[in-house]
Amino acid sequence: MDLSLTTEQSAFRDEVRTFLTDALPEDIKLISKTQGHMGEEHYRRWHSILAEKGWATPLWPIEHGGKGWGPANYAIFDEECHMAGAPRVLPFGVSMLAPVLIAVGSDAQKERFLPGIQSGKDWWSQGFSEPGAGSDLASLKSTAVRDGDHYIVNGQKTWTTLGQFGDWIFCLVRTDPKSEKPQTGISFILIDMKSPGVEVRPIIMMDGCHEVNEVWFTDVKVPAENLVGKENHGWSYAKMLLQHERIGIAGVGLSKEQLASLKRMAATEKKNGKPLIEDPVFKTKIAEIEIELRALDITNKRMLVETERGMDPGPVSSMLKIRGSEVAQKLFELKMDASGLYSLPFQPHIGEPGNNEEPVGTIHNTRSAPTYLNTRKISIYGGSNEIQRSIVSKMVLGF
Amino acid sequence: MNFDFSEEQNMLVQSLERSLAKSYDFEAFREQLASKITHVPETWNMLAELGVMAMPLPESAGGFDGNHVDIMAVCTELGRKLITEPYVSSVVLAAYIFEATGGAPADEHLPKIAMGEQKYAVGFYEPGDRHNTLASATTATQTADTWKLSGHKAVVLGADTADFLIISAGGDSVFLLPANAEGVSLNQYQLLDGRGAADVVLNGAEAVLLGTAGGSAAIIEEAADRAAAALTADTLGAFDEIIEMTKEYLRTRTQFGRPIGSFQVLSHRMVDLLVDVEQAKSIAMEAAVEARNKDVTIRMKAVSAAKAKIGAISRKFGQESVQMHGGIGVTDEYALGAYVKRLLVNEMLFGDADYHLTRYANL
Repeated sequence: MDLSLTTEQSAFRDEVRTFLTDALPEDIKLISKTQGHMGEEHYRRWHSILAEKGWATPLWPIEHGGKGWGPANYAIFDEECHMAGAPRVLPFGVSMLAPVLIAVGSDAQKERFLPGIQSGKDWWSQGFSEPGAGSDLASLKSTAVRDGDHYIVNGQKTWTTLGQFGDWIFCLVRTDPKSEKPQTGISFILIDMKSPGVEVRPIIMMDGCHEVNEVWFTDVKVPAENLVGKENHGWSYAKMLLQHERIGIAGVGLSKEQLASLKRMAATEKKNGKPLIEDPVFKTKIAEIEIELRALDITNKRMLVETERGMDPGPVSSMLKIRGSEVAQKLFELKMDASGLYSLPFQPHIGEPGNNEEPVGTIHNTRSAPTYLNTRKISIYGGSNEIQRSIVSKMVLGF
Repeated sequence: MNFDFSEEQNMLVQSLERSLAKSYDFEAFREQLASKITHVPETWNMLAELGVMAMPLPESAGGFDGNHVDIMAVCTELGRKLITEPYVSSVVLAAYIFEATGGAPADEHLPKIAMGEQKYAVGFYEPGDRHNTLASATTATQTADTWKLSGHKAVVLGADTADFLIISAGGDSVFLLPANAEGVSLNQYQLLDGRGAADVVLNGAEAVLLGTAGGSAAIIEEAADRAAAALTADTLGAFDEIIEMTKEYLRTRTQFGRPIGSFQVLSHRMVDLLVDVEQAKSIAMEAAVEARNKDVTIRMKAVSAAKAKIGAISRKFGQESVQMHGGIGVTDEYALGAYVKRLLVNEMLFGDADYHLTRYANL
C-alpha cells in the first residue's frame, strides 16, 4: 500500500501547475478566489484555453480527441485547477452529453456535435427536470410527436443551469404516452435553442443571482436526425450519463480550495484580539471538517480506481455525491461563521460588470452568506441526496 | 406555573396579526426589498398606533410598564410577517439604555420612542472584535462642554434610517448623537433578510454622555441581552411559518405517485423539526421571563441558553426546510428563502451560537 503519488503522477501534477500558472487569466482567477459568479465570456475564454491544450475533454477516448486519462490523473488535474482558481469546465456538453453521443450517437451526430463541445463553440444546456418531475424524473410530461422528418416538441423544462447562454439543449421528452412503464416512453433529443418556440425565462435564486432558468417549448420543430439512439430508449441513456458523472462528483478539489480559503479567512478574522484560527472552538471545527475531507480524498481516488478495475460503478457516484456535497456545504457554512457580523450585509451583485460597490466587510465576508445559501443546491441537484441514498440502498442492500 | 400569554398579550397579538395581515403580502415584500426600502413609514406608524412601542416603556414616559414577555409576543409577530422596521433598535435597545441611564435625555427621548416619533439605533460591536458586546476601540474625549467620539461601529441594526444613534465607547460608556451630526458617516445597506443597518464611522463627532463615564458596561450587556432575547422571539415567528410552508409542501407535492411527506425519510425529519420548535419555544420563553432579572447570572444564563440553542436550531431549520422542498426552496420567488435569511440574521446579531455557548459555559 502506498498512498503517495507515483513519479509519473508527480511530474504530471507539476506540468498541470506550470500550465495553470501560465495560462489562467488573472481576472478569471480573481472571480473564483472571491466566490464571484462567472459570466458567459469567462467560461468560454477558459474553455478555449483548455481546449487548445487538449485539456477541456481529457477523459474522452483518444480517438475522439480526448486524452484518455484515468481517474487518478483527472483527480490531480481537478484539484490543481481548483487550488489555482480556475473555473469549472461546464459538464453539460463535455461530461454529460458527449459520453452518450460517443456510446450511442450516430456517426453523423458525433461528427457534427463533438467538435463544438470540445472547442466550446457550442454551449450546451441540460433539459431533464420539469416542474412536476424532479426526484421522480420519469414522470416528465414534455412531449415530442413525430411529424414527417421532424418531431414537434411541447412542454417545459426547469432548473436549466446557465441556459440563458445556451446554443443547444439535450432533453428528455415523452415519445410514447401510452407506454406501460413511464421510463419506457422517453427519448433523448437534441434541440437548437434558437429554434422558433423556445423561450428561456430566468429563475432568481435566493442569493439574488440568475443562474438557472425555465425553458419553454411551444410547437418547436426538431429534425428527426437529432434523436439520439433509439426512440423510447432515452431513459437508459440518461442513466448512463449520470454514471459518467462520477469522476469529479465528490468535489474534492473544490472542497480542498474552500478549506484553504477558510483557513486564510480564519487567520485574518479576530476573536478576543487573537486570530480566529487560534480559537479552541473554531479550530476544532476546522479540524473536524479537514479530517472528513482527508478521508473523502482517499475514498474518492480509491473508489474511482476500483471502478476502473471492475467494481460495480452503480452506487459509487451516489456515495461520493452524498458525502462530497455534505463536506462542501459544511465548508461554506464555516466561512459564513468565520465572517461573523460581516456576513450579513447583502451585496449580491458586487464585483459584476458595472457594479462599483465596495464590500462592507471584506469581499470574502460579503460573499459568505449568499454562497452558503446558494450551495444548499448541491445536495438537491443532479438527484437529491435522498434519491442518492435510495439508489445505494437498492443497489447495495437490495431494498 | 403558567405558560400562557395574558389576556392583554393575546389581544395585542390578535390586533397586531390583523393589522399586519392587512399590510403584508409576500409580493409587496419582494418589491420593497428590490427597491432597497428597509423602513416603511405606514408600517412604523401602524405599530406606534397599536401601542406596541409604548407598551414596554415606563408609565412616566407615556408607556404601559410592560415586560419582556410583551416584547416576545410582539417580536414573534414581526418575525412571522418578515417586518423590517427597526423596532428592536428603538423599543428594546434604545429605550432600555435611556431608562437605565435616566436624567434629562431619558425624559426627552422616551416619550418619542413611545410615540414612534423618532427612530434610534444602538452600536456596540466593532470590526475585528466579532461578537464582543464590550468592544472598546471607539474613543470618547471630553472637551470643555461636550464629548467627541471617534471610531467605527459594525453592522448597526437600524442605523440606516435612524434619527439618533447611541454609541458605546471604551466598552463602558454610552453616548447619544443625531445620526446626521457632523463627524458621523454612515455606510448604509440592506442585510440579507431586507432589514436595514449601517456601519457607523465617527470622526470627532460631538455627543452627549448618557449616565456616567465608565459606568455603563453592565447596562451595555443587559441591553444586548434584551435584544438577543427579542430576536429569539422573532425567530419563533419565522419557525412557525417555515413549519407551515414545509408541512403544506410535503402534503401537496407528489412524486412517484404519492405525497412526498408519505416517505418516512422526510416525515421523520419533519417531526424532528416539530420537536425542535417546541424546544425553541420553551427556551425562548425562559429568556423572555428572565431578560430583566436583576440577578445578572440568571439573566445571562437564560439569554445565552436561548440564543445558543435557537441559533443551532435555526441553522438546522434553514437547511432541512430547503432540502425537503428541493429546488423551489432555493429560489427567490418562494417565501421560504426569505424566512431562512431572517433566521440567519437573527442568529448572528447580538452574539452568535458559539459566542453564547462559550459565555454560558463560563458562567
